[in-house]
Amino acid sequence: MPDLVKNVPQLAFPHMRMFHVNAVAVGWLSMGYVGSIFYMVPNLCKTKLWSERLGNMTMWAWNLVLIGAFCTLINGNTEGREYAELGAILDVLVAVALVLVALNIYMTILNRRVKKLYVTLWYFLGSLFWFPLVWIIGQRTFVALPGLNDAIVGWFYGHNILGMWFTTVGVGMMYYLLPRLTQAPLYSHGLSMLGFWGIALFYAPTGTHHITQSPVPEWLKAIAIISSIFLLVPVLTVLTNFFMTMKGRWGQAVTDLPLRFAVTSCMFYLVTCVQGPFQATRWVNWYLHFTQWVVGHAHLALLGTFSFILTSAIYYSLPKLTGKEFYSQGLIRAHYWLKFLGFLLMMTSLTIAGLIQSAGWAMGIPVDQWGLQIRPYWFFRGISGIMIVLGQLLFAYNVWKTLYTKPVESVAKAAKAAEVKA
Amino acid sequence: MHSYRLGAIGIVTTFFIIIFSTVLLPMVLFNPTDKEHRSNDYTKVASNVADAARGRKIYVREGCFYCHTQFTRLQDRGYGPLVKAGDYIWETPHQLGTARTGPDLTNEGGRMASEWQKAHLIQPRAVKPGSIMPSFSYLSERDMNDLVAYLQCLGNGRHVKDFVEAPDEYRTTTPAGVALHNRKTVDTNASASANAGRGIYTQNCAVCHGLNGYGEGPNALSLEKKPPNFSRPYYKQYSDEFWFYRVSEGIVGTRMPRWAETLTEEQRWYLVAYLKTLPQDREVTINSINQIDKVEDIHLPKLSNQQYEPHHGGHGHHSESDNMSPSEHQMPQQSTPSSPKGTESSSNTDPAGTKEGGH
Repeated sequence: MPDLVKNVPQLAFPHMRMFHVNAVAVGWLSMGYVGSIFYMVPNLCKTKLWSERLGNMTMWAWNLVLIGAFCTLINGNTEGREYAELGAILDVLVAVALVLVALNIYMTILNRRVKKLYVTLWYFLGSLFWFPLVWIIGQRTFVALPGLNDAIVGWFYGHNILGMWFTTVGVGMMYYLLPRLTQAPLYSHGLSMLGFWGIALFYAPTGTHHITQSPVPEWLKAIAIISSIFLLVPVLTVLTNFFMTMKGRWGQAVTDLPLRFAVTSCMFYLVTCVQGPFQATRWVNWYLHFTQWVVGHAHLALLGTFSFILTSAIYYSLPKLTGKEFYSQGLIRAHYWLKFLGFLLMMTSLTIAGLIQSAGWAMGIPVDQWGLQIRPYWFFRGISGIMIVLGQLLFAYNVWKTLYTKPVESVAKAAKAAEVKA
Repeated sequence: MHSYRLGAIGIVTTFFIIIFSTVLLPMVLFNPTDKEHRSNDYTKVASNVADAARGRKIYVREGCFYCHTQFTRLQDRGYGPLVKAGDYIWETPHQLGTARTGPDLTNEGGRMASEWQKAHLIQPRAVKPGSIMPSFSYLSERDMNDLVAYLQCLGNGRHVKDFVEAPDEYRTTTPAGVALHNRKTVDTNASASANAGRGIYTQNCAVCHGLNGYGEGPNALSLEKKPPNFSRPYYKQYSDEFWFYRVSEGIVGTRMPRWAETLTEEQRWYLVAYLKTLPQDREVTINSINQIDKVEDIHLPKLSNQQYEPHHGGHGHHSESDNMSPSEHQMPQQSTPSSPKGTESSSNTDPAGTKEGGH
């Protein structure tokens, strides 16, 4: 199987992996997030976006980055820093785009017509301040730090692109979507503030828990591990708030498809964020580090949680933006089940493979021997990957059809009927 | 309105405090130095041979660090000395890595011949059956040479002394290990013990490992993960405890069973004694039926004049007898005074040993 593709550098695993990570982080999630922010912020402020033209410009800049990323990473033009592989020009372009997005959103919020800031806006405000800074610090484009300092900054960035961007924007979107989809008021605004400040305080210093077994200073590891464990506080606060908002309304997730995506996302968020702090503790880390378990954990966060909430946001906002119902409710269902089951299969197989690897490292068994042992699990992982890709293709087809089909009365009616039946 | 301003100030201040403490502070306070000159020296390879510094760039470009790490941890057996902070001062961008789908490369330099490394890059499975590494055959000759040069510089010639260590419960650092050694009645350095072990080996192991341990027993043909070739120098570094651990617990992911379930402790120690005498002379890979054990020269460990009863012992009073003075059947030429318990036992429990040991 490793010989399936040979002699094509563009398809070599490391190059594919670089592009996969950057396409997910900068392409799919960030682009979707910025899009959702552009939809949600004017809605919450009851005003127009400060500058449509600037918004379009950042959109093109972002797409340019992605094309650039594809052309460079696939050929191995990398800076060699995980999650920061993009070259100098693209780094700068992303930073500029981010700052412009932030400016656009800040000006929109300044021009708002409601007095109070809803918690979603807090999250977006925070994220748009943190992420450009984290990005600029983390890229290390024009500096060469000595090895371990490079690693410290690298993991500060590597973890905070998750903590100060994907998590905070994602949670902000959950705060927006859950009350809207269920037509219920948020359970507690006090709790939502506690959750926000908890994340703001405890997320940023956790990066070093990725290198707890390397010779970096112990005090730094201690800070990272302790704040990782403290992360349970904001996470549980946030989820209590969500679950109490959902109280008595869980049944709606059966018929309301965007809500189903959002609720699934919350559940996966719970699993990720309980896993995370325990993985950061020394002894669990001692056993599990470097294995496929961690890969499973990363997918749980980015695919299970944030990709699901982003999909929910798109399914919710697209009909509202275009005034058209989705082309097919059946395709949404298929998308949900392919993605959900595919992801469960992926998570299970990666976790088991990770445990086998951990046992191998702990018992000093040579790599090539447990390498054979994890093969069946990678086979299942491959199947799960195909399921997820298939689901996303259906999603893309559905969106395409929704946007570019002339609304036919009967189609919309049929869709309604299908929804009622199910 | 006022509270929002406070909030915004809060967001900014918190974040800057965190950046200060976890990004800036380490840069000021954490400045390791490389007093022992342990960091990788890329000038070691002569410039007319290959450019190791350029090889590092290839390593980065090809994204090797997604599967190979460059830091050894306390629990990593067989990957050489633990890294120190000073090892990395010239390494930028750092290549510590995030996952190990392949082995750790911290001390890779000098472990394998350059030709082997090159063959492994071109077709990993040719030199390492069962490997899951993709082929990097698309690299140009120059890239390949530089990359190999880089790999050979890794670890800066740090010798991998404790190549393999048995788990703690097999070593005298733990009560379990001490108890194991107290129960041990076999002198694993004696050739007569090796002779005793030879019978056990022939009966149980040779079918896969081959008579001389080249890994060419008849069963090897059907195995996906081939048995190792014990004549490789690598296996000459195994300690007694490590052999014993391997034999006892088997190897996950292969057909190697847990012999602890079928062989007694004593029998396994005899086996260890035999395994240590296996020759170190040739490399064999077997891929067709014609290559299996054609006419293998019979290998007998050299017998010395030592009078020794390898098959004696192991009948249950060890912990007591350690404290007692050696009694009735003590052998006069006990070579190592540190193992008196090997000498005092009286009954013969090992059938294989009787044939070869001789009174």
